[in-house]
Amino acid sequence: MSGRRVGAITRRLLQGFRRDRRTLALLFVAPIVILALLGYLLRGSSTAPNVGIANEDTGPLGAVVAGSLHQSSHIDATDIDASAGDSKLKDGSLVAYIVLPANFSQQAQAGTIAPEVHLEGSQPGQDSPVLQALQQSLISIAGQGNNIHFAPNIHYLYGGPNFDTLDYFGAAFIGLVVFFLVFVITIVAFLNERTQGTLERLMASPLRRGEIVVGYMLGFTVLAVIQSIEVLVFSLAVLRIHNEGNVFLIFGMEALMAIAAVNLGIFLSMFARSEFQAVQFIPLVIVPQVLLSGVIFPVSSEPGPLQWLSNVLPLTYAVNGMRDIMVKGADLTWSSLQVDVAVVAGFFLLFLVAGTATLRRRVA
Amino acid sequence: MSETYAVNVDDVSKSFGSFKALNGVTLRVRQGEIYGLLGPNGAGKTTLIRAICGLVEANDGSVTVLGQRMPNVAVLRHIGYMTQQAALYPGLSVEENVAFFAAINSAEAGVKAALELVHLYDRRKSVVSTLSGGMRQRCSLACALVHRPDLLLLDEPTVGIDPQLRVQFWDYFRQMAADGTTLIVSSHVMDEADRCQRLGLIQYGRLLAEGSPADIRAQGGSPNLEEAFLNLAGRRES
Repeated sequence: MSGRRVGAITRRLLQGFRRDRRTLALLFVAPIVILALLGYLLRGSSTAPNVGIANEDTGPLGAVVAGSLHQSSHIDATDIDASAGDSKLKDGSLVAYIVLPANFSQQAQAGTIAPEVHLEGSQPGQDSPVLQALQQSLISIAGQGNNIHFAPNIHYLYGGPNFDTLDYFGAAFIGLVVFFLVFVITIVAFLNERTQGTLERLMASPLRRGEIVVGYMLGFTVLAVIQSIEVLVFSLAVLRIHNEGNVFLIFGMEALMAIAAVNLGIFLSMFARSEFQAVQFIPLVIVPQVLLSGVIFPVSSEPGPLQWLSNVLPLTYAVNGMRDIMVKGADLTWSSLQVDVAVVAGFFLLFLVAGTATLRRRVA
Repeated sequence: MSETYAVNVDDVSKSFGSFKALNGVTLRVRQGEIYGLLGPNGAGKTTLIRAICGLVEANDGSVTVLGQRMPNVAVLRHIGYMTQQAALYPGLSVEENVAFFAAINSAEAGVKAALELVHLYDRRKSVVSTLSGGMRQRCSLACALVHRPDLLLLDEPTVGIDPQLRVQFWDYFRQMAADGTTLIVSSHVMDEADRCQRLGLIQYGRLLAEGSPADIRAQGGSPNLEEAFLNLAGRRES
C-alpha cells in the first residue's frame, strides 16, 4: 500500500468538500442543531401530565388522598368538578381525572376503596404516572386501617387496557412513512429531470410550468396512493394497530400527506444541484418534523417556543389528524379534524404554488 | 422588414454574475435558412440559443421569434430544441421518449416518421440507457423534430455521430430548410460551417462576423474557414 496514493485520495476528498459549503454545514452544524433541539425538547418539557381531582367524599379520607395527589411529583393536579371531567379530557386540557366518591371514607372503613380513574387513553405513556401517583397517595391512608383493598375503577375515554405503544405510534407512523418515502423519491426524481437536461427541454416546449408540476404530482400520487393502501393494509391487518376510525378517512389523510410530500419534494428540488445535496434535505426537513410534530413527544408537553414551531409544521396537523381518526374515532364532523385536514391541504397548495413559481429558476 | 425574419436578435446582452455570456449580439435569420453559430467552447453559443427559445431572459436587447417577442409560451409550439446534452429519459425506450415529446407538442402522429428519419425505428424498443452515445444523439434529434417545428434549434447536434450519419443529418436539415423550416445549428467544428447558408462567428459573447461561408472567408482573408475565423478573432482582440 502506497501512503502517497492513499494520501492523494484523502486529499482529493477533502478538497471537494472545501467547495461544498452545504455539505460542510450538514456535517458540522446539523448535529448541533438536532441535538440542541432534542435537549431542549426533553429537558425543557413539562413532563408531568395534567390530572383533575374531583373530591366528592363527605368523610375525611378524600381530602387526605387529594392532598397527597396535589403533592405528587408524577402529576400536575388541579381540582375540578367531576361533571366537567370528560369535556376536559376531550379538549386535551387533562390526560386524566380522578373522582373520589361521596362514600370514599366509608369504603375505606369497609375495607375496599374504589376511586374512579378516567383516562384519556390515547397516549399510553401518560397513563402510568397517573396510576402511580394514585397508588402512592392511597398508601398514605393504608396506615389508617387494616386489610384495605384497593380497587380503582378505571375508565378509558379512548383506547383501552390493551392499547399499547404500537397503537399510539402506529397511527402517526402510517402517515410519516408515506410522507417521508414519497418526499425522498420525488425530490430525487425531479432533480434527475433537471440534471439530465430533460427539464430544460420541457421548459422549451409549450408545456406550462403548472402543467409540469401537476403532471408530476399526479404521477407520483398514483404511486403514493398504492403505497398508502399497502401501508394501511399491513398496519391494520398484519400489525393489528388499533383503529376506531373509518378506513377510507385514514386513507384520505394518508393520500393528502403523500400529495403534500410530492409538492414539497418538487419545491425543494429547486434548491439542490445534485442528488447528494437533495439527500441532505432529509435531516434538515424530516428530522425536526419527526421531533416536533408530536410523532414521539406530544406537542402539548413541548417547551412553549417549540410549540410555536410545531404549530407551523405540516406534519403536526397530519399526525394529529391520523391519531384523532385512528385512536379517537374522529370523523369529518369533528372540528379538530376539519382543521387538520384543512391545514395539510393548505400546505399541499402552498408547496404546489411555490414549486410552480420557482420552476423557471435554474433550469440548466 | 422584421416579419421576413424567423429570428431577430437585437443587441442582446446576458450576464451571469460578473461573467458576460452575451455582449450586444445582433443577428437575423431568414425563414427557411440554415444559420450556423460557430465559435469555440464557452463562446456564448448555447446561451444565445437558450435566449432565442426563451429559457434565458436577456438583460438588455430583445429576441423576436416568428414575429413574437420572447419569452412566449405560444411560440414554443413551433420550436424544436435539441440540447447539447442528449437530454432523454434513460429508463424509457427510444419510442417512449419520442412519443413523450410528441405528446407534449400534440404531435403523436409524427413518431414513426421521426424514428425512421434518425434510423432508430428498428431499435425503437431499446431502452435509452443501453444505447451508444451516437444513438442517443439520434434519439434526441428525433425528439426535437417529431412535431415538425418551424424553427429548429440544434445545439451541437452532430457530436458523437459517425460521418455517414452526419451526412444524412445534413441532407435532412437541407430538406427541412427547403420545406420552410428555419434551422440554427451551433457547432465548434469548422467543417460543418460550409453546410450552412449563413454563419455567425461568436467569441467572448460577441458576434465577430456574419455572412455566407464565402463572405467569412473574404472577411478573414483566408480560403480556409478555420484560419479566417482565427484571423477575425485575432483582429478583434488586437
